[in-house]
Amino acid sequence: MLTNTDYATTVAYVPATEPSPLGEPADGLAAVSALRALADQLEEAAVERAMRDGWSWSQVAEALGITRQAVHKKHLRRLIAAHIELRRRGAA
Amino acid sequence: MLHRFLEDGRQGVPQFESEARKCGAKLIEAEHMLLALASDSESHAGRLLMESGLDHERLASALRDEHRRSLAFAGFQAPDEPQTNAAKVDGPLSLGTSAKVALVRALIASRSHRARRARLKDVDVLRAILLAELGTVPRALAIAGVDRMTLISRTTAPES
Repeated sequence: MLTNTDYATTVAYVPATEPSPLGEPADGLAAVSALRALADQLEEAAVERAMRDGWSWSQVAEALGITRQAVHKKHLRRLIAAHIELRRRGAA
Repeated sequence: MLHRFLEDGRQGVPQFESEARKCGAKLIEAEHMLLALASDSESHAGRLLMESGLDHERLASALRDEHRRSLAFAGFQAPDEPQTNAAKVDGPLSLGTSAKVALVRALIASRSHRARRARLKDVDVLRAILLAELGTVPRALAIAGVDRMTLISRTTAPES
């Protein structure tokens, strides 16, 4: 059984110095944030390109590995605002 | 809206939003607020930043370097613009977490130091942004070689 002292020494970790905004682990965490933003930008551009090329929502969803509803919900408003002609469901 | 809080009305949400849009961001973050403050060289905050060598161009460059460094850590480099250039939705941008934290911090500090004061000074906002120890802004400042603590201390000095 852990005593209070054991618990404090084994669980609570207080760094000796303030964490630096540069170097590890800060660079790794910043990379996560930057990659998430980049993935979002790439997705927007790629979906827009596919829809301009006449792909259907279902085809885009299949290529992304997500549901048609998810693609629709995330991109419809932006694509309409961009005046991109969208294929209707079932259209050839 | 923030422009109700800022004392002189020159800076606020429209300027923050404009900087966020220029960066292609979907949310207004603390770095966009800092860019907006740096773009007004006549304001107290803008002068403090300028005296530390951080005009708008230098700050924007440091933020780009920070972005490159972050991606490089994971073995990536920023792709060419056409690969990420998508149509943008009009309409107001929301505040991101870092911007909300900075604004709340600025409002709390302002009300504790100046009773009944409803409006923030630009320098209150600058100080609140600079108080973040981790994240994009402190990383960019470190890359630019700017001593964040020195800059913070200058925000409490009387305006010259």
